[in-house]
Amino acid sequence: MTPEAWSGGLWPYFALILFGFLPSEIWRMLSVIVGRGIDEKSELLEWVRAVATALLAGVVANILLTPSGALATVPLLARAGAMVIGLGVFALTRRSVIAGVAAGEAAIVGAAWWFAG
Amino acid sequence: MSVQESETPGTQGRAYWLRRGIMVAARLPIFVMAFTFLGIGGLAREAGVPLGAALLSTVTIWAGPAQVIYFGALINGVALPAIALSISLSSIRLLPMCVSLLPVLRQSAGSRLTLLYAMHQVAVTVWAESIQAIRQIPPHGRMPWFMGLAHSLVVAALIATWIGYTLAATLPHAFAAGLLFITPIYFTSTLARNAREPIDWIALSSGFVLAPSLKGIVSAGFDLMIIGLVGGTAAWLWQKRIRRHGAHL
Repeated sequence: MTPEAWSGGLWPYFALILFGFLPSEIWRMLSVIVGRGIDEKSELLEWVRAVATALLAGVVANILLTPSGALATVPLLARAGAMVIGLGVFALTRRSVIAGVAAGEAAIVGAAWWFAG
Repeated sequence: MSVQESETPGTQGRAYWLRRGIMVAARLPIFVMAFTFLGIGGLAREAGVPLGAALLSTVTIWAGPAQVIYFGALINGVALPAIALSISLSSIRLLPMCVSLLPVLRQSAGSRLTLLYAMHQVAVTVWAESIQAIRQIPPHGRMPWFMGLAHSLVVAALIATWIGYTLAATLPHAFAAGLLFITPIYFTSTLARNAREPIDWIALSSGFVLAPSLKGIVSAGFDLMIIGLVGGTAAWLWQKRIRRHGAHL
């Protein structure tokens, strides 16, 4: 399908709602039913939080392992290295997320510049 | 700040907590959001959808990874039902995220509609910033705090989507790599900052251990479900064991 076919009329909006928004939103709406009886201090909630944390860590690891676009041009070792630098600074600065992100970003931009040149 | 709002914690009004939520967003998350959605705006432009649809995707889908899948798949000419399936698979993670916030927000929600609306605002950044912090807030202040945080991020993301769409793919290569790297480094540090107990650390590290081990064995999409269930359950069981035996990590 060409980009031209997408730019006309209301179709791009309908397609977005039907094939993008609804398949994603269903999980959020389902949560209200699934989580109805769960108490704030219950063990079940602790488990759900642990599952969500592990899932997010998995999402992050996947981005590092098989990145897309410009990040893919940086070798895996350099991507992991930038991560280690960022987290190292984060740990040294008493868990400052800003410092960690800044250091990691500097490392990855430097690496991307180096390996592109 | 009015006199009423400067009293001891627990007595402040909804406006106070709304402002506090906005202030949390204004520190780092708003910039992370802006950088992430700059890339998504550019991707939407490349996919050939109108600007309105790009902006609509940010307020409706409201999940960076799903939006990347949607526009990326359009560019590659993937069939729409197939796009819908992969988006749904990637968004399963929203279920445990929403369920874990639900009981904390329920008391200050008022109506079921407000609660549904709040759940719609749950995305990775919103979740990572609120899952620990919100429990320190008195129950009546939680919903306004959460709304202040979430809406600041939505506005930042909308502006960034628009700028990214307008500027399109004129970014220098190294800078583009930096934009894509912000998600991993920001989430990992935020999750690590949130970690208080062994259960948090085990859950966090299990994701990093399991993801490479499952590569190539399990098809994409399902691997995340396994990582979540196995890693989360292992962390939870370990925590229970530690509590029972009083052992240390």
